[in-house]
Amino acid sequence: MSHEPRVGLWMPTVTLAFCALFGGVALDQYGTHVQDELLEWSGHRVLDTLARGEDIASVQATFDDLEVHRVLDDEKPRKHRFLWRLQTDRALDPGVSEDAELVALYLAARNGPVMRSETDYVKVARPEERTVLTAKLTRVDGMGALPLYGGTLLGLVLCLGVMLFRGPGTYSALQGGLAAFVPIAVGAGWGAHELAAHASGLATQVGALAGIAAPPVMNPTGAIGLAGLPLVLMIAFGLWTHSRASANRTAYTYLMPAAVGMGLLVLVPFVVGIALAFMRHDMGTFSWVGLDNFWQILKSEGYGLTHPLSFYFTLAVTILWTALNVALHVGIGLALALVLQRPTLRFRGVYRVLLIVPWAVPSYITALIWKGMFDKQYGMINHVFGIIGIEPVAWFNGFWTAFTANVTTNTWLGFPFMMVVCLGALQSIPRDLYEAADVDGASAWAKFRHITLPLLKPALLPAVILGSVWTFNMFNVIYLVSNGQPHHSTDILITEAYRWAFEQDRYGYAAAYSVIIFLVLLSYSLLTQRVTKAAEEAYG
Amino acid sequence: MNNKPSSTMNIATHAALICVVVATLFPVMWVIKMAFRPEQTFATGLNPFPTTFSLQNFTDLFAEPFFWAQLGNSFIVAGVTTVAGVFLACTSAYALSRFRFPGRRAALMGFLVTQMFPGTMMMIPLYHLLDQLMLLDRVLGLVLVYSTTAIPFCVWMLKGYFDTIPQAIEESALMDGASQFTLFWRIILPLSRPAIAVTALFSFMTAWNEFILAATFMSDESAYTLPVRLQQYVGQYTAEWGHFAAGALLVSLPVMILFFVLQKHLVGGLTAGGVKG
Repeated sequence: MSHEPRVGLWMPTVTLAFCALFGGVALDQYGTHVQDELLEWSGHRVLDTLARGEDIASVQATFDDLEVHRVLDDEKPRKHRFLWRLQTDRALDPGVSEDAELVALYLAARNGPVMRSETDYVKVARPEERTVLTAKLTRVDGMGALPLYGGTLLGLVLCLGVMLFRGPGTYSALQGGLAAFVPIAVGAGWGAHELAAHASGLATQVGALAGIAAPPVMNPTGAIGLAGLPLVLMIAFGLWTHSRASANRTAYTYLMPAAVGMGLLVLVPFVVGIALAFMRHDMGTFSWVGLDNFWQILKSEGYGLTHPLSFYFTLAVTILWTALNVALHVGIGLALALVLQRPTLRFRGVYRVLLIVPWAVPSYITALIWKGMFDKQYGMINHVFGIIGIEPVAWFNGFWTAFTANVTTNTWLGFPFMMVVCLGALQSIPRDLYEAADVDGASAWAKFRHITLPLLKPALLPAVILGSVWTFNMFNVIYLVSNGQPHHSTDILITEAYRWAFEQDRYGYAAAYSVIIFLVLLSYSLLTQRVTKAAEEAYG
Repeated sequence: MNNKPSSTMNIATHAALICVVVATLFPVMWVIKMAFRPEQTFATGLNPFPTTFSLQNFTDLFAEPFFWAQLGNSFIVAGVTTVAGVFLACTSAYALSRFRFPGRRAALMGFLVTQMFPGTMMMIPLYHLLDQLMLLDRVLGLVLVYSTTAIPFCVWMLKGYFDTIPQAIEESALMDGASQFTLFWRIILPLSRPAIAVTALFSFMTAWNEFILAATFMSDESAYTLPVRLQQYVGQYTAEWGHFAAGALLVSLPVMILFFVLQKHLVGGLTAGGVKG
């Protein structure tokens, strides 16, 4: 950048104020939502208790409990405090006298969202006793957003501090914004957690009164997600206001459609996915468990280190899988490209077209065909073995044979991409370099070693990184060919995560698995980049 | 070239290439063979050429209650995804190639990093998101998800290609009073037709070949895309290889045709960016 546009301090102030306001509103909305859920939950539980035919008098008695009234007596619930008033009164509702009506009422209450009725009354009846229990459950709107405001204030101070320290400018504004994000996020998370804790505390109280177990702690993902949204807005707004140069605005305009799409459909699910990693899933509800999932995975809880379901075993398999595949892809692709780029070779166009066929056919089709090829009874491979005189192999009964089947399939699928990349890269190497080498009498190997390889590297490296990332997460082949057989041993991390999520319903655990996968890949590519950068600097 | 390979070398090269080609084509031939065989078992033996010619599998397939609906879904999803994907990739690649703005490096890295997001991590939140937007079991939901999955790769590729177009052309157009949009629309886009074609191909393939997300988001059989139905033919409890192969052939044909039409551009389009790093 030739010059940095100068920025006033008003920008972070305005955006952070906006952020706080928006986050606060979001948290409040979330608080309301949690309360709604809890009301619904306890309504159902009370009704269930009654429906089980337990002594209605005792249930009514429990509602007279002092605990509840103590909350009720607090006439003016303090602001910023999450309160839940539960009011019950016993009354024979004159309007409800027929047994049939009572039953219908109960069923309606049982099946529908209990608390969403206009009056916020639940009427519970047991036909044989002709009694109606009308419970009034009132929601008190509270503010769970104090920590968020605290965090925002701190964030504002940090942001202004950074900007004053670094001098006004776009980058210092951005850095200030990022510095502000940490306390804001912590505040938002904390606020959401507070809300959830209050809610679950109250639910436990009511649950104890009604003689039922407490509900799980509610899930604050929504609030954290919503609190993160202002940050995104802030960065976008900041970038926008600071791009005084109209060229920058044009650039952002062009980038906008993709950025919005990626933000909504990639970034948001990603952030929610991370949040899920800190939760436990149980019958449709998520509860906050902190780092438990990660500990369980990293300690490989319940499995020995070499057990196929242990994280480390799967990680080793995945690394072996990735390394082997990428090596084969690059090796075969490069070899074919070197042969095909010779101008003297006849039919090179035909060969090239035929060799990219695996890329053109949808991978799930060829993966399934390969699975059939490796079939013990009908497969072509065992047929060939029979001709040579080798006993038929039950490919998917042993780890190494199943692994071989996977690698074979994926090598077949993946080499054309590398071949095409290599072909393109080879074309860009200037011919005269080879001619000069010929004049010097260099051998073919020397030319390959000292001209082709070094000049291929810059083009090949991104492809290799991308290829390893794709292979690391290659779901289709593993899932369709070996499907983890035998005993999940050939599963790689991504298919293992899939199984935890969709076969065991352990979404939180699976999400933690996925976060680990992401971190492994991220550190791999950062490391690769650092290494190549270092190498580039070393070689000039 | 200076050192001409000897004729034995030449023959050996061709022999090796033919071996590789045979291995490459074998599974594909198998699909064709099984598609025209009126049986549902996996074909045995070594002969990859069709020995029978029966259209039974195809007529069975066409008689499936939802076949045409599923084919239609696949076409709509892939078509709209292609248009949306190309639009999104072109605009953002243009911004990344022609402008230097704060956040540019971050955007480029961001696109790369999204490739590392494990699909399993995205699936549950995406399901929830589509549920909230009432887009489950709808073609539009799949279109939205697919058009963003292909973007990062396409952006990197297109950006590389745009980079190779000399800026001098635009500068002279700018002198003549052309607007920024004219530059993009009248100069850059027409000049990068090959790369855009390749981008379109990849967008199309992403949507046309995907089955895991589609199987997760679509529960109604009439809302399936073809891949979802196809891989069920040889699932855990059934093995209708004939029907599978016939369907596979039909599904592969459009992609293969597109691929072969565009394969010349593939080499240039893919590596223009890579070479410059």
